This record gives sequence, structure tokens and C-alpha cells, in this order.
Amino acid sequence: MIRFRRQFIIGMLALVAATIGVLWLHCKFHRLLPDYSFLTGWGLFASMLVLTFYNARKKLSFLPLGNSELWLQIHIYLGFFTVVLFAVHLNFRLPQGWFDWILATLFALVSASGVVGLFLSRFLPRRLATRGGEVLFEKIPALRHALRDEAEELSVGPDAKSPVVGEFYTRRLASFLSAPQNTWRHLVESRRFLNALLAEVEDLRRTGSESERTALDKLAVLIRQKDTLDYHRALQLALKIWLFVHIPLTYGLLIFTAAHIVFVFGFSGGAR
Amino acid sequence: MAALQTILERPQRWDVAFDPNMDDAAVDRLLATAPFSSMQADKFPKRTPLREILRNDARILRFRKGEIIVRQGDYGTSAFLILNGAARVVLKPDLPPALLGRRATGKKGIWRTLAQIWNGWRPPESISNERLTPDAGLGARQDEAEVRVFLQDLPRVLDQHRTEQMKSGDFFGEIAALSRMPRTSTIFADSDDAELLEIRWQGLRDLMKYDDALRSHINQIYKERALASYLRATPIFQHLDKAQLDRVAEAVEFATFGDYDWSGEYKRLAQAGSVRPEKEPVIINEGDYPNGIVLLRAGFARVCQKAGGGERTLNYIGAGQIFGLAEIAHNWRAKDKPIDYQYSLRAIGYTHLLIIPTRVMEEVVLPSMPKSELPSLVESPQKTDDLPPPESVARDKIGGEVLEFLTENRFFNGTATMVIDLDRCTRCDDCVRACASTHDNNPRFLRHGPSAGRLMIANACMHCADPVCMIGCPTGAIHRESFAGQVVINPATCIGCKSCFNNCPYDAIRMVEVRDEAGEFLVDQESKPITKATKCDLCVENWGGPACQRACPHGALTRMNLNNLDALTRWLKK
Repeated sequence: MIRFRRQFIIGMLALVAATIGVLWLHCKFHRLLPDYSFLTGWGLFASMLVLTFYNARKKLSFLPLGNSELWLQIHIYLGFFTVVLFAVHLNFRLPQGWFDWILATLFALVSASGVVGLFLSRFLPRRLATRGGEVLFEKIPALRHALRDEAEELSVGPDAKSPVVGEFYTRRLASFLSAPQNTWRHLVESRRFLNALLAEVEDLRRTGSESERTALDKLAVLIRQKDTLDYHRALQLALKIWLFVHIPLTYGLLIFTAAHIVFVFGFSGGAR
Repeated sequence: MAALQTILERPQRWDVAFDPNMDDAAVDRLLATAPFSSMQADKFPKRTPLREILRNDARILRFRKGEIIVRQGDYGTSAFLILNGAARVVLKPDLPPALLGRRATGKKGIWRTLAQIWNGWRPPESISNERLTPDAGLGARQDEAEVRVFLQDLPRVLDQHRTEQMKSGDFFGEIAALSRMPRTSTIFADSDDAELLEIRWQGLRDLMKYDDALRSHINQIYKERALASYLRATPIFQHLDKAQLDRVAEAVEFATFGDYDWSGEYKRLAQAGSVRPEKEPVIINEGDYPNGIVLLRAGFARVCQKAGGGERTLNYIGAGQIFGLAEIAHNWRAKDKPIDYQYSLRAIGYTHLLIIPTRVMEEVVLPSMPKSELPSLVESPQKTDDLPPPESVARDKIGGEVLEFLTENRFFNGTATMVIDLDRCTRCDDCVRACASTHDNNPRFLRHGPSAGRLMIANACMHCADPVCMIGCPTGAIHRESFAGQVVINPATCIGCKSCFNNCPYDAIRMVEVRDEAGEFLVDQESKPITKATKCDLCVENWGGPACQRACPHGALTRMNLNNLDALTRWLKK
């Protein structure tokens, strides 16, 4: 963790220094310079463009544009700094008018989704690795079908002889195995559903015959495997889905920002 | 119901002969030819008689003038004896890569780099005519069920390169076959009736074992051609003068352990889930008297220590590394407190090694070494199981589970293994997308593979130190880049024979049906699809290094030489 810690310390120091610098400049010049809001506006827009270009960097991976890890570090700390620039640009006041409110709301949502994404990408991978059973997201449906087929064969297939196991499968397992389940529970690391289901299996097992016990033991294994698949699906989905909020909102923000610039210049007679 | 049993005759070494068409007449002819005519058949054991070695481990090949027999840089498993006609070895300069069926080395130019922006929209595995056309100086013909590649413009080759003719009775390729090193020269047939005997390494090994003349002949060649330069490049011998180095070279013993065809066997065992370290041949036994240091010339070996009823892996060593120096240096300096070998050494796969006897070490090598370079005295010989291993061992650095995982799966073979830290990987697939965009929309790896703890080894070509995929390629299409040594495939000369695909023990090579630039599948005259082998080329043509590694936003993916565990330790602790 030495390198990552060093990255964090350097990034934070740079962020704090830049923030102090900008606040000092703001205190010193915001009343003195007549075009102060243009200056802060262009600064804010430039930093937003750099932040957005990270996505383009990802798509141009065949060009030697530096490694993505460095780009992400810049993206994170410049992202926080852009929030400071935004506040400075607003002169620490609330926006005025519906257009500015939309712009500010979009900015807040992009920033917030970025912070959520950062949080998720720092904490969820470790949970996935700890849980084990690594699986490709795209393969989860096929694996789920295979588990369901196996459980079905075991419980209600031509060789299945126990009505107890068959009834348990139909009542409790068929729906559990047919579709993703417990997404929210997995995100908050709750195992209540799994434990309750396994407790039911154990109850049946206690009173079952030898062949029923064997079938129930196998079903318990399949239940655990399905639960692990659901766990991976839930966490991997969370790791993917935040980008579907962050990126479209970013482009929305850029469009509104461009319109904002046009309006400002249109109604101010151009930059002075 | 009674359990079904399948009774199968135990597989024997010669179940599959090198050439099933070797008949008695051919063997009789060989037995009347030098050097076999001078070999004493009664010195060979009953299980491996000379006659059967020739029948099962050799085959007679005929080449026409200009046909390439071996290529410089290829890995081969056999040696050749010229029976009739002549062959010619290219001395200097080496033939250009294109004439060896390889693609020319070079980074993409600015336009080809930028063209990747729109090439991403091409149909999968579409390939331009230009990339499918082999060099005009190279021809190929189907000959006796084998593909033969020949040099089209032989006079020009002879004019531009210094060559030397080899005549009947000359041996070549034996060093590469026995030591599993790349072939050092290209040799092609120099007459239309060139007849060669190809002996696979198992046969050559046995011939050397039971025939003193052949053994000393090959050892002599080895010492002359390969050993002196190797010893000179080994750090512990750097203080020796020429006379001392000659004495060391004279005393060197060669040994090979394990199975040359380990990849096939390993693949089979791995699929059956029964790769067992205890099956690996012992090179050195813990507790034995140290009678020499071991220098690994090729392959890998496992350093292990007795623990409980079995053994635990402490480290693995690869080519260029030394085993036993600490013990011998200790005994030389502390004569009153001699120690035995502290650990066992087992061959993993195939291992070719040199042994320098203790006497030579004590008389010549150790006195020449400065005190600062001598290993420190072994303070607490580990005679019991409960003593901890020394701090320097790999087990302490990366943990027992990861070490066993890397060893059992033989990942140490990789010089550019794709290692993923699952604690940091967000499964975003940026690496896969980057790979696809640098290869015209065709990803060359799968972000999945075996894992241990937080470490995953993805299913991508590892650019092995021992590239078994390169053994047996009939056209030289799979080869090492001459510049940085990456293993790459030339689509123009790949004939889709699956030799590399079947050999790769890590399943890192894929066979794909290729299309033209319009997206239509390419087919041969019989309307069968044209297939080519594809794999990760480590972005050898792109600027900036492997795109997968550069694309990871979280520093969770790296390409790493797993024979260097210090680098892995540093990366895991970063």
C-alpha cells in the first residue's frame, strides 16, 4: 500500500494547496477585477474539459496518452478541485434563475455520482475478492441456468423420488434459482435470506430419509453457489451502473455549460 | 450393479513411434552407417536397444535444395544427422525475419496508429491481404504430409550471407534439442537429394547415455560452442581467468531431469486435477552431502523443505540461478562445522542443468570470490521441521498459498504474465476494451483465470521463458520478436495447424476463422474456413507498451515476469 498511500498524500496535499491558493486569490481579487467571473468561468470550464477528456482517453487506448491510473488520479483530485472552482465561480452564493439551477443541479449530480463511484470502486472489489467464486458478469445468467437445471433435475426430474424435496423446490427454490435475487441485501452484506433458506433445508434434512438427506445436501451446495452468483451480480452491477449515471450527466452538463457560455457572451457583449 | 472397469494396457514409451513407417530395411541401413555402425549394441539395455531407439525415435526426411530444415531462434526437440547430400548453415548475417516466416519488427507509424480509430468498426478477425501475404522470397510446398518452406531466391541468399556447407555424417541441432535453447542458426538443404535423419530428444538422450563416443562428442561440442560463453556470463565466475575458467568448464557435468514434453503431460494432469509435486523428479535431496553447485541452464526447479509428512515449497528457481552455493561456501569456510544440503531441489517440467563439483568450487571458484560476494555462513542448519525458513525465501514474501498456486500452475514460466489484484480490480473491463481497440476490435485475452486469494492470473499469453508453443511450428509463424523477445504469430505464414494451440499448457492461444476486409469468411479450395492462431502479442507494434496494463484505472493489472518474486511482492505491497 506504500505507493497508493503516497499517491493519496501527494494528491491531497496538491488539492489542499490548490484550494488554499484559489481561495486566497478569490479573497484578494474578486472585488478588484472587473472580469473576475469570466476568469473563474473559463477556469472552471477548462477543468471540466480535462475531466471529460478522461473518457476519451479510455477510448483512445492505442495512443500513448499516459496510463489510465495517472489519469484517474488527476480526474479524482481535479474533480474535487472543480467543486471548489464551482463554488468560487458562484461566489459562494446560490444560483439565480431556472437555467442556473439546472446547471448547478447537474454539476452537483455529476460530482456526487463521481464520489459514489469512487467509494464503490475502492470498497466493493475487496468484498468480491474476499467472497471468492470469481465470475465474469456476462457469464452469470448461463451459470444460473445451469444451477437451476441441476437443482430441478435433483428435485423434480425423472429420477427424483421425494415429494418433500420436490415440494420444497417448487415452493422455495424455483423462483430463487430462476432470477437474480437479494441485490440490495448483498449490497449491504446481509445474509439473512441465505441463512433462512439453509435453515429450512436443515429442518427438512433432520426428518428426511437417507436419499432425501443426500438430495438436500446437494441442494444446499447449489443454494450457496446461487447466492454467491447473486452476490457477484449485485456488487459487479453496482460497480458498473454508477457510470451509467455519471457519464450521461457529464455530457448533459457540458451541453448546458456550452449554452451557459453562449448566453453569457450573448448578453454581455463578449469577453472583455 | 457391478462397477464397470476398463482394462487398458499401460502406455509405453514407444507406443507412438516418431515415424510409423520406419521399417527394418531403413533401420538396417542406419545401423550400417556411422556413427551407429560403431556403436556397441550390447551396451544398450534390453528395454531400450539401439535398434528400437532408431526405429521409434528417429525418422528419415528428404529435403529439396533451398528447403529450410531448422530456423535460427526456433525451439526444437530433435537433432539431425545428414545421411546423404548436403545442408548449408547461415553464419552471418542472419536471414531477415521475413525469410524465416516471421513478421518484420517495428512499431506502427502515425497513420496506422490513428487508423485504429476507425478500424475498430471492422468485422471481427478481418485481416488485410497485405498481412496475409508471406514474403515473396519464401515459398511453401506440401511434402510427404508435411509443409516445407523454401527459399525462393537461393543464389541471392548465398550472395548476401556468409554460409558454410555441411556434408553427410555431420550432426546438428543437438544442443538446442538437449538444452531446450533456441536454435542458433538457420540451416537449409543444399542439394536436391538431401537425406537427413531426425532423432527426437528422447532417442538422442539414450544414445548419449549408452554410447561413450557420442556422449563425449556432444559434450565436447557443448563445451566448445555454448559453455564457455555461458560460464563467462555467470556472476560467480567473473573473477576467474581463462585458465581457471577452462578448468571449471572441463569439470562441468551436464544433466537433464523431468519430461521434455512436460506441457502435454501437465495439461492432461491439470485437467484431471492431479498435479502432484511429489511426482517431480528429485535433483538434490535435503540432507545429502553437498557434492556440487547446480546451475540451471534451462527450465525450472522447485526448492522445497521437509514439513510434516511431505514437503513445502520455499521458492522456485529458473534459468541462470544457482542452488547449493551457500552450503558449499559454508563448508569451505567453516570446515569444522560442515552442513548438508539444507533444502531439496525438484525438477518442474523439464530442467537442464550444469553441476560444478565441490572440489572445483573449493579449489578454483570460491578462492577467487571477494568476501563480500560469498554467501554468509549458515547459522542455524534446519534439521527439524519446526524451524522457520530463512527470511529470504519466497514463501515469506508472498505467502505459502500464493507460492504454491504459482508453482502448481507453473506460472513462473511467464515473463509477461497478466496478474490482476482482485482487491483493486473493479471488473470494469477497460483492459479488455483497450486490448480490442489496439487489435482492430479483437480482444486477445480473457479477463478471467485461476486465482488464489487476491491474485488472479488472467487467460493471456504469458510470453513464456520456456515457450512450448513454439515447438513444432512447421512454418516458423510463431516466433520470438528479435528485439524484446515477445512471442508473436505471423498471420501470413500461420497455416492453422493448431500445433501451438495444442502445445500451450495455459490455453492462451485461440484458433479463429478469419475474414477479409469486407467481413466475408476466407475459405480454401474445398470451402473449408481458413483458421489462424491468435494470442496476446504484448502490443508489440504499439507505442507505450501493453494497452491492458496502461488502461487499468486502478493499477490492478500488470504484466510481470513471475520468475522475479521480488517484483511481485513489491507490486502486491504497493
